[in-house]
Amino acid sequence: MSDAGRFGIDEQPVFVIDQSRCIGCEACVQACMECGTHRGRSLIHLDRIDRAASPQTAPMVCMHCENPTCAQVCPADAIKQTEGGIVQSSLKPRCIGCSNCVLACPFGVPKYMAEIDQMMKCDMCVDRTSEGLKPMCASVCPSEALWFGTIEQFRSRRRGALVRDFLFGRQVVRTKVYTVVDDPTAGPVDVLGVVNTSWIDDPFALEGFL
Amino acid sequence: MACALDGRLTRRLAGGKLAGVRFGAGSKREARRLDQRGLAWGGVGVAIVLAITFFGSDGLLWFDAALIGYLFGTMFMVFGVVYRYAVWVQRPPTAMLNRRGWDSFRQRKAHNLAALPSLVVSQLLVQSFIRRRSRARWLAHQLVFWGCILAALVTFPLTLGLLHFESVGQQADRYQVFVSRIGAVTFDSGSVLGWLTYHVLDVAAILVLAGVFIFLQRRLRDPGALAVERSGDFLALAGLFAVSVTGLFLTVSSHWLGGRFYAALNTLHALTVILGLMYIPFGKLFHIFQRPANLGVAYYKRANAQGPAAPCRRCGIPFASAQQVADVQAILPQLGFDYSDAVGGSHQSTCPGCRRAQVALAQSARVGGFG
Amino acid sequence: MARPPIDEAALIGRYGPHLNEAPPGGWDAGIDADRMVATHCCFCGQQCGIKLKVAGNQVVGFEPWFDFPFNEGKLCPKGVKRYLQGSHPDRLLHPMERDPEAPGGFRRVTWDQALDRVTAEIRRIQGAFGQDAFAMLSGVSLTNEKSYLVGKFARLALGTANLDYNGRYCMVSAGAGNKKALGIDRASNPWSDIPLADVVWTAGTNIAETFPITTSYIWRARDHGARLIVQDPRLVPHARTADLFLPVRPGTDSALFGAVLHELIRHNWLDHAFIEAHTNDFEAAAAAVADMTPAWAARVTGVPAVRIEQTAEWWGTSATGMLLHARGIEQHTKGVDNVLAAINLGLATGKYGKPGCGVTTITGQGNGQGGREHGHKCDQLPGNRDISNADHRAHVASVWGCDVAEIPGKGLPALEIIEAIHDGRIKGLLSICFNPLVSSPDTSFTREALDRLEFYGVIDFFLSESGHHADIVLPGSLHEEDEGTATSGEGRILRIKAAVDPPGEARRDWEILVDIAQRLGRGQYFDYASTHEIFEELRLASAGGTADYRGATWERIEAEHGIFWPVPEEGHPGTPRLYEGGRFYHPDGRARFHAVRYEPPGEVIDADYPVWLTTGRVVSQYLSGTQTRRIAALVAQYPEPLCEMHPVLAERLGITDGDWVTVTSRRGTMQLPALVVATIRPDTVFIPYHWPGDRAANQLTHRVVDPISKMPEFKVAAVRVERAGGAVETTDVRDLSLHGGAP
Repeated sequence: MSDAGRFGIDEQPVFVIDQSRCIGCEACVQACMECGTHRGRSLIHLDRIDRAASPQTAPMVCMHCENPTCAQVCPADAIKQTEGGIVQSSLKPRCIGCSNCVLACPFGVPKYMAEIDQMMKCDMCVDRTSEGLKPMCASVCPSEALWFGTIEQFRSRRRGALVRDFLFGRQVVRTKVYTVVDDPTAGPVDVLGVVNTSWIDDPFALEGFL
Repeated sequence: MACALDGRLTRRLAGGKLAGVRFGAGSKREARRLDQRGLAWGGVGVAIVLAITFFGSDGLLWFDAALIGYLFGTMFMVFGVVYRYAVWVQRPPTAMLNRRGWDSFRQRKAHNLAALPSLVVSQLLVQSFIRRRSRARWLAHQLVFWGCILAALVTFPLTLGLLHFESVGQQADRYQVFVSRIGAVTFDSGSVLGWLTYHVLDVAAILVLAGVFIFLQRRLRDPGALAVERSGDFLALAGLFAVSVTGLFLTVSSHWLGGRFYAALNTLHALTVILGLMYIPFGKLFHIFQRPANLGVAYYKRANAQGPAAPCRRCGIPFASAQQVADVQAILPQLGFDYSDAVGGSHQSTCPGCRRAQVALAQSARVGGFG
Repeated sequence: MARPPIDEAALIGRYGPHLNEAPPGGWDAGIDADRMVATHCCFCGQQCGIKLKVAGNQVVGFEPWFDFPFNEGKLCPKGVKRYLQGSHPDRLLHPMERDPEAPGGFRRVTWDQALDRVTAEIRRIQGAFGQDAFAMLSGVSLTNEKSYLVGKFARLALGTANLDYNGRYCMVSAGAGNKKALGIDRASNPWSDIPLADVVWTAGTNIAETFPITTSYIWRARDHGARLIVQDPRLVPHARTADLFLPVRPGTDSALFGAVLHELIRHNWLDHAFIEAHTNDFEAAAAAVADMTPAWAARVTGVPAVRIEQTAEWWGTSATGMLLHARGIEQHTKGVDNVLAAINLGLATGKYGKPGCGVTTITGQGNGQGGREHGHKCDQLPGNRDISNADHRAHVASVWGCDVAEIPGKGLPALEIIEAIHDGRIKGLLSICFNPLVSSPDTSFTREALDRLEFYGVIDFFLSESGHHADIVLPGSLHEEDEGTATSGEGRILRIKAAVDPPGEARRDWEILVDIAQRLGRGQYFDYASTHEIFEELRLASAGGTADYRGATWERIEAEHGIFWPVPEEGHPGTPRLYEGGRFYHPDGRARFHAVRYEPPGEVIDADYPVWLTTGRVVSQYLSGTQTRRIAALVAQYPEPLCEMHPVLAERLGITDGDWVTVTSRRGTMQLPALVVATIRPDTVFIPYHWPGDRAANQLTHRVVDPISKMPEFKVAAVRVERAGGAVETTDVRDLSLHGGAP
């Protein structure tokens, strides 16, 4: 394929999420709605972390856990994982709308859609990725907070190392989706270990105003 | 479009990405050895079928030996469905939901009983939740659903010998339907009722076929639907199609071909039906038996909505029913997860939004220069 | 009298904005696209590549265009939802004439009736009041071909000097500054230079919301270890990660730049060889900043002196650096000064003409770059030529085949056209792609002006708020309904492809103009069979000018994914990076320093109006919102203007987040909800400007302009802010998970 957005069958592109790059533009939210498997519905999350204090925003796609907590807590066996490791959205005939997955997912990903009484979540644009195309959100993301490509491409383009282990209390969760850290030897991303991050002290030199 | 479709299918086969489905770790363990309780309940199920057949057909008097293959198919299906169901309800989340569903139901029994008919109608019969997903999908599902119900109502009683027809007196065109030993309606073979009785399975087949065609058309037109397609989805549609078409051929043969090919077609039809029955416990159609759990969920959710809400331990805003949060936290260790932290709290006491914020903050903290 | 024919609420009820929620056939319809059309987004000067999915004569979706080098498939939310502007219920499908008796206030007329009326009014007004009493306002959502044609149409068909364009509210300060200092009006670099910079300094540009794709270039620079300096009254999203944040007080940018130059000189962080070899007037610039110490600038700008010193050190000692600026320093009465002061910093450190070096504006509007080069600017002719220059006039007259005297002289800039309408010197107006009622400062003044027009003809695809005042409405074409070219903010000429035909009786804009010209008896100058023929003429007209397109053919543009002008002959590779080898575009090849002294803005705060107001954009809306306020998903992202203010200010005023506040300036007053956030200077409030009527930020802005560029001062006004009572939820009013369900 001539189009640079399409990967060959023997390439192994990976999904990378790097929340630190997010600028909150919501291109991903808009593009998610264009995904063929759930047109008209956006399944990605984009959160303002603390708008009153900061412009920080962060996207969240399904991380596609190797041992998906959502699938395990599903009483209806409605969440399946493909051999490629993609944790699919709930199977429509099976999902009984109980929201166990919503409450269990350590990453806060599944969405319960009340009007159709069903959970839906990101399936890594399986209509696109199964054809070697980038997912919608990672195609459009202007800041490359959401990125899809081969590990070699990542290394040639970006700083940082790719990791995919997250620590939630005592639970280590390994995911198919990678994230970016400066130092990969510092262990999994310790989700509960960080209270807040600040980047600039007193951006507006407030002493002048008070 | 055709070209794109071919490419997609080729890739799917070559990549094998979607060809198979991996179950969760728990399911894998279950798959290793047969479940004793499941086997026992399956045996009970088969015994019940045999008992119904024996007593319902008046000691096999009305049992139609030509349908013996169907009976075996039914027995296999019942065994499989009961076995799988038994295994399913033992899984920690299912067992929890099962328990909570009944608990919730018993909490306000009279009120819940009163609510049952409307729940059954909206959730199980009209399936309005599908209509809100897509009207075409709903229409297709309703057609297949009612077609199958109709067919099942006729064929299972026939197979088990519960239902038979007797001619009334010496009149060649007057019949009476018997349910077991009890005579029910009498009808004229030339009447509308007669026509319907003869052709009820044809009507069912046409309903099913119409639904199958809508499903197929959707799947073929919509690249998204095709992508999330699993092999089982096509198999189920193919099975429904085969059963309906071979069944209709029987009518064609007897009406227009003077019975030619009838025997062969009959065998073919029996084969598709029996295979179809045997497929039910394994494939997509098992959802028929899982779906009623939805009623339990409805009661569970209603009870939870009246109970206290759990506040997020990070932002303090209530985000879900305290009961369900506790239930999920109780299930997780049974499934081998430990989301507890150093101070004994659980990550699942944090609302999903704050979980996402925590992930973002933790990641940003690991990146210098950003965040 | 060009007053709205009926109540404006009724007009909105009939002509929108209504919200287009889903593609043709609905979300469930599936996508049966016949073809993909590789073209560009219409919603900003970055001109991202995008493939439109077309079925029949409808655009039904999009696909990222990964091969297009600028954005590699990336799009902002406007780009993603861009396709929903087609097949829109509000689309104008036939000509209309103002008729207060008709339901909806306009009655349907034939093209002949409409064009006859337009022609008759032009003749009548010009006959009675002179040629220049009929004006034209244009816009740079138009392609190069249309922009060029509008310029020629106004000069040769209307014969009026009074033609100007909406880039007057966008790019003119940067253009004027660049021409004065560097002799050319174009970005100094291709964006591929940004990742090569050791220091990236953004000044008055909210990259994340107005040029989202540029973010990835800045992040890539950071990946290579670049330092990021952000100068803005607000902690805009990309500032969150800045190494240095300069929270400049609105209207004081030149003081900040001056102090940095002062420090560069004091520490001798100068490229003397470059200054010597390639520039003039350094001494004058140095003298002007002699007293501009960081301590002084800290008092003026509110930026701590230590941060100013740090900025100077990083800028002065780094081998490479890019300073990117936009409307934040340009929409001022000192807009040109600010740009010149920024350029001084690039010249002083030799940061021009080398990889990773440049001081460059980021063009805002879709074809803001190309549109301003080819002649619908009141003082310019094609090729960025000067309408007052005899040689330039002669060249263009020779291409047009007219007498030089037939080309009118310099006309009034946009805001002065509005003012001339208001005071009766201009009686008739034809506008295309311009919604002055939303985009001009001082809304009530603009409304009064439009009301006073004897005749107002509007060419547009939706009935904008200005269009409510029209006597005749001519349905024109959307971006995707015509062939042509546009030029991105990088100076890259791009091919715009027609994906569909104009629906109903709507026509391509150029065909409408050609038709009017013929009716005015000037058809001999407008003998075009296609847009391509217009482009071929544009190439000749631009040849020899600074914006030289001569060597650019449609075929080459398409094959090469765009060509950077100047491209003076056919084999020429184009010019991605300007000033290589220190060659500038003044006749002597040298750049000019300018002496820039700090002057306060046109209006300063006082006891009655004690708070600074600055205005700007949000990511989901584009300019006056004529297109983007009609797309449901974009509206959902930021439905109504909010007044951003710091908690310190809010507390002082007794305001909490979500309270309705009244904001009053000397021009007007408006009420809107407060968004209390610690990401804005505590002496400043911010209101985005995309909305009309009582939600228009321009009710408050000041009709005062830069003396050179005639740019209005959208970025500074003095206001009073009070709690109005009542409250809405603001911080959470925008549902980030559109159509989402659970928490």
